[in-house]
Amino acid sequence: MSDKSGLTLFLDGEEVPFTRGESIFQVSERHEKEIPTLCYDDRLDAFGGCRLCVVELEGARNPVASCTTKAEAGMRVTTRSGKLEMHRRVLLELVVSENREVDVDELSGYASQEMATLVDRYEARTGRFEGRQSGASRPDDPNPFILRDYDNCISCYRCVRVCAEQEGDYAISIMGRGFDTQITTEFGGILKESACTFCGQCIQTCPTGALGDIKALRHKEIELPIEKTRSICIYCGVGCSVDIMTKGDKIVGILPAMDGPANEGALCVKGQFAFDFVHHPDRLKTPFVRDDQGELVPATWDDALDKAAAGLMAAVNEHGRHSLYAIASGRAPNEAGFMMQKLVRAGLGTSYIDNCSRA
Amino acid sequence: MTRTNEELISQAKGQEAPLLPLLHQFHERDGYLSEEALRAISAGLRIPLADLFGTVTFYHHFAREPGGQAAARVCTGPVCKMHGADALLTSMPGATGMPCSGRCDEPIPVLRGNQTWVGLAADALERRDTPVPPAAPAGTTECVFAHIRDENRKSLSGYRRSGGYAALEKAVTSMTADELIAVVDASGLAGRGGAGFPTGRKLRAVQEAGGGPKTVVCNADEGEPGCFKDRALMDHDPHAVLEGMALACVATGAPRAFLYLRYEYPETDTLLARAISQAEEAGILGDDVFGSGRTIRIHLRRGAGAYICGEETSLLNSLEGKHPFPRNRPPYPVTHGYEDTPTAVNNVETLASLPPIVLHGADWYRSLGMGEHAGTKVISLSGDIARPGNYEVPLGLPLATLIDDWAGGPRNGNKIQAVTMAGLSGGFLAGDDMDVTLDEPSIRAKGSFLGAGGIMVFDETRDMVAVAHQAMEFFAHESCGKCFPCRIGTQRLTERLAGDAGPGELSSWLDEMADLNATMKATSACGLGMAAPLITESLVRYFPEEVRAHVSGS
Amino acid sequence: MSNPLRDMEKPDVIFCIGTNMTECHPVAATRLKKAIRNGAKMIVADPRHIGLSDMADINLQLRVGSDAALLLGMAHVIQREGLVDAGFIADRTAEAEAFLEHVKEFTPEWASEICGVDPALIEEAALLYGRAERGAIYYTLGITEHICGVDNVQSLCNLALMTGNIGREGTGINPMRGQNNIQGAGDVGAIPNNYPGFQPVTDPANQAKFAKAWGREVDLELGITKVRALEQAGDQIRAMLIDGENTLVTDPDRKHCEHALKSLDFLVVCDLFLTETAALADVVFPASGFGETDGTQTNTERRVQRLRKAVPPAGESKPDWWIVSQLAQRMGFKGFEYDSAKEVFNELCSLSGTYAGLNWDRIEFGEYQWPVPEDGHPGTPRLHEDSFINGRGIFKMIRYRDPAETIDDDYPVWLTTGRRLESYHSRTQTGRSSGIDYLLPEELLEVHPDDVSAWGIRDGGWVNMSSRRGSVRIRVKATKRSPRGTVFCSFSFNDVPVNVLTGSGYDPVTETAELKVCTVKIEVETETGGVAAD
Repeated sequence: MSDKSGLTLFLDGEEVPFTRGESIFQVSERHEKEIPTLCYDDRLDAFGGCRLCVVELEGARNPVASCTTKAEAGMRVTTRSGKLEMHRRVLLELVVSENREVDVDELSGYASQEMATLVDRYEARTGRFEGRQSGASRPDDPNPFILRDYDNCISCYRCVRVCAEQEGDYAISIMGRGFDTQITTEFGGILKESACTFCGQCIQTCPTGALGDIKALRHKEIELPIEKTRSICIYCGVGCSVDIMTKGDKIVGILPAMDGPANEGALCVKGQFAFDFVHHPDRLKTPFVRDDQGELVPATWDDALDKAAAGLMAAVNEHGRHSLYAIASGRAPNEAGFMMQKLVRAGLGTSYIDNCSRA
Repeated sequence: MTRTNEELISQAKGQEAPLLPLLHQFHERDGYLSEEALRAISAGLRIPLADLFGTVTFYHHFAREPGGQAAARVCTGPVCKMHGADALLTSMPGATGMPCSGRCDEPIPVLRGNQTWVGLAADALERRDTPVPPAAPAGTTECVFAHIRDENRKSLSGYRRSGGYAALEKAVTSMTADELIAVVDASGLAGRGGAGFPTGRKLRAVQEAGGGPKTVVCNADEGEPGCFKDRALMDHDPHAVLEGMALACVATGAPRAFLYLRYEYPETDTLLARAISQAEEAGILGDDVFGSGRTIRIHLRRGAGAYICGEETSLLNSLEGKHPFPRNRPPYPVTHGYEDTPTAVNNVETLASLPPIVLHGADWYRSLGMGEHAGTKVISLSGDIARPGNYEVPLGLPLATLIDDWAGGPRNGNKIQAVTMAGLSGGFLAGDDMDVTLDEPSIRAKGSFLGAGGIMVFDETRDMVAVAHQAMEFFAHESCGKCFPCRIGTQRLTERLAGDAGPGELSSWLDEMADLNATMKATSACGLGMAAPLITESLVRYFPEEVRAHVSGS
Repeated sequence: MSNPLRDMEKPDVIFCIGTNMTECHPVAATRLKKAIRNGAKMIVADPRHIGLSDMADINLQLRVGSDAALLLGMAHVIQREGLVDAGFIADRTAEAEAFLEHVKEFTPEWASEICGVDPALIEEAALLYGRAERGAIYYTLGITEHICGVDNVQSLCNLALMTGNIGREGTGINPMRGQNNIQGAGDVGAIPNNYPGFQPVTDPANQAKFAKAWGREVDLELGITKVRALEQAGDQIRAMLIDGENTLVTDPDRKHCEHALKSLDFLVVCDLFLTETAALADVVFPASGFGETDGTQTNTERRVQRLRKAVPPAGESKPDWWIVSQLAQRMGFKGFEYDSAKEVFNELCSLSGTYAGLNWDRIEFGEYQWPVPEDGHPGTPRLHEDSFINGRGIFKMIRYRDPAETIDDDYPVWLTTGRRLESYHSRTQTGRSSGIDYLLPEELLEVHPDDVSAWGIRDGGWVNMSSRRGSVRIRVKATKRSPRGTVFCSFSFNDVPVNVLTGSGYDPVTETAELKVCTVKIEVETETGGVAAD
């Protein structure tokens, strides 16, 4: 029952190994303890704000936050007890009491269902601890990407921390204190006038939908399930993994893939939001050929392929195989480039091929 | 001559912990913190603008409208409310309230820019010196107050004439750090700011910690309502505090120390700055302490109005220019404190106790307490009491002795209904539970604690639900917003004590209250959220009838 | 990149040159920001004050096109101060002695004369990089799109070699590839010199290998570059097949380019949209794209990843590979019968040494970085760990050369071009995605405020900007992001076709265009009309 380092602790009575530097929360996660949390994002420094992840530690007077407490050899940890579950439920009831709504659309963002899920799991009583609600929404911010519905904000500061620690933009911060805390840009202005780069990371880490993906929420009314397809962003060369969200035949939004090897959950404004081109009316939907009047007109695939083959071969036949040149794309998949170079090489025996890397 | 942004910033850049002083300089120069000022500071110190803005908004006293710095702030602490602070505030157009500003033994304080005025009416405000502690009963031996009533003690020469800096000289010239720590250890001195951690152990932990340079911090952010002892010490015996800090530096090997002073003590700020420069000029502080070649630099840093900065890790974040949330512990400041260096954070009173302990010895200090209890504790006594003020009592002294024999008993001969402990943080003691001795074991047995030693007295005329509401309003106002139980809990408790929200039926009300109290005490991230429910818990315990009447609305 | 993206969080000294990473590779930049948060120091060399400059410890704001001089100056200091890694040089490099002698000539003072950076700053930067435990170099097109692009890259290699900053975690020479699959385009052999897997066409063994695979011998001679092909359009080159490139807008010297494409007998274009280039074609094929096709692409750290189809393709659009394979079949070529992208990719792997250990199923989760030379190989996140592919790292004796054009009385202003965060290339995609216009509604010419007043132009006003090749009309934005005497704009907006101005010269080795430097004059717009003719 120990790894190479030999470190172990007791988790709900069971001796389990851990590695130095791991938090109790991380060890518990590995052992599927399902400790609840609202302020934790494994890409960020543990914060210890929501206190839902408290566990009992033998010898400690009070429960400790498992996310910020490092595992130590010989610790005896209890992750679930009547008292702990009572505290967790009270904390959830408290946090629900400051919000306008608990159930938000899944299109809001990657983590948007976290609070609602915990409220269900703990059968937290909404309506308990009623009182003033916190957070002031910003309907005055006209940006087309990030919904700033702070009426649903629970001050977990995941947005502030992801903006600083993950994105490095430091565009938002915490204004005021206590119950009057408010997420803000410098001087409280709109996002466009701040250091925000609209990468959308704040949306994706928000556990309540207070920050939401405005573009995805456009499709809230489509009554079809959301499907997710793993793919790769097609903007720059970093190659960020994304999950394309679809409803039926429509792409409704993009989620960053938290396990994407190149991006580990990060995206930029283009990868996150610039996907409408796929369904844009300007898309070419049929082949086109130039007619006798010199106009490009729609054609069938058969006609277009024949015409193209004939046109290209005419040049080859008249001026030789070195008269045809192919330019492959740095934006199309490998298979496209492979086929382009194979066409000139296997077809004509030349290397008259290049791509856009020179300009 | 007014200094330009560039001059201020380039000067600040070379300093330790530059943000707070720089903000104060702009605040005072411009009368507020303008957008332009924050942009300049953000660029100059390379602090992200949004972070800087957020951090500035955290502090109560930084004004962001022109003229705000000089606008009057009226203390609305619990004792000042007894004196009519609400009416005074209403009578002063443009004035705003501020939480307890540490002058509970005086009329209501009003802060205007860097001047403190006191009085009971807007047209009768005056400036006056901090009261000297009332004389102790004959036969009492004091430690930190031994010389405090000596007029000359404020000046360096006066201080030295009465034995001042002899302990430091002895420590740097003829003692090892280990010997110094051993004396402190043996004295039984424990933190006098509230937490009560053994001082010798803390100093040793810092001394032994790897990495450096090491740091000493004097926590003079005396924000607990009903506590005003540190101000008395600093104002009347400033060099004793500095000497204590220097001794802590010697013990830990720290070349630098910070004194973090609460915003509401502007006169103290001036006085300490002068004391530091005098000591440096005399070669007592600086780069060659008593010719030993040792460097001890004391940096004075002024807070900006945030109770939570009295919590040591918030204080460290504040010093570093970060958002002053408390840090997660472990690691503790003794290994990862100021800028992650090993840091000893000690209260003013604790540090001021060091010079006499070094001079007179551990046994002497121990013997000052009664029975098992080592040493003394300064109690700030205020409220419905004949002679409010700071009293340095032997630990173990019965509370009744302090109130009745030392301080003249309750005001107007009324019956005492309740007292608070640890300022507000210990909640109330009432009835038979007031029969305690002034030491932690005795008071903890009643579910409270002595803490920093603030005791406010409430006589039978006071509405205890209203007092509890004011107390909770304070905690809600000062909750930093980091952890859920405190941020939401203090708000909900306040609303319920105000009668603004909550169940109208007693058993549900008590049920909510019990859940809130239990969860806040068990899960809050720092002492604020753990202490606040002691108010409601003790209210419900001692004043069930009043609570029932409050809930039923009668 | 020699090193994986993850390594970007590991250096203790970061040297970014000619890369506006926070805008062009924002997600990669987040890793550098983490390194900085953990205490790494950063040197940024760029003519402009870019986003990275705000985070840098040392900013080297050099004149456009003077990189080689700056880098020689730095090499001089590293040599002079004895910061060379003698062990590394002895074990892993060649020509070191000559190089260390060579750089003695190029003092920081000499470099300063050319690049305009204070010699003290050059010294400071050289010392910082030279003393680094783990020094990493990052660059982009700001280094390569010059007539001396190859020299610039080799100058960076020299710095890394002399300090041993390669082949280890958190070090390396790391070009950030611009387009999503520009790495793949080279990997698959869509270049005139190499078969798939960088196997030279000039090697008879390769010729034989591919003849066997494809049943046809390919010329042993190199093909020609696109630049050359466009020059010869209408002459030797009579027909072109262009896949997914808006050549007209993104290539330099737009007039020349337009003329070239129009001189062809026949032009076939595959694209998602009727781009400016497609509009000139004889046949246009509708390609299906992101979210509509299965396929693979290879990122800047050589990671081969799967693209997946999530929705049906628009209209009758088809995957590029299908279109080209169908076309090949109709042209009478053999061996183009494919049913899926998987088949195509697996054939690529079977023919490419770098992909040999991969196949469609193995890259399901994208964990491999090439070279993956055989089955069971874990991939190669970091290149050059034990040895260089060609044996030893060879120092090159670089000398500084002026850009193709330098400012003079007629064209007194430097123009440099690039991308912006919110738009991508010619905006065929970002321009058709809602919301992007909110952030970036139009192209603006960035001019230093002092120049705005000195030149008698107005912030927000219109100017005509002309080079020897053409002229565009553009609005001015006064900003200190541009240095005095140098202006900047992107090539994203078709109504500001900035590539009518560029194209002053090409690197003699790679024939990469000098898009980063041209000289212009800027005049107040007097007429209300559109783009002025030159």
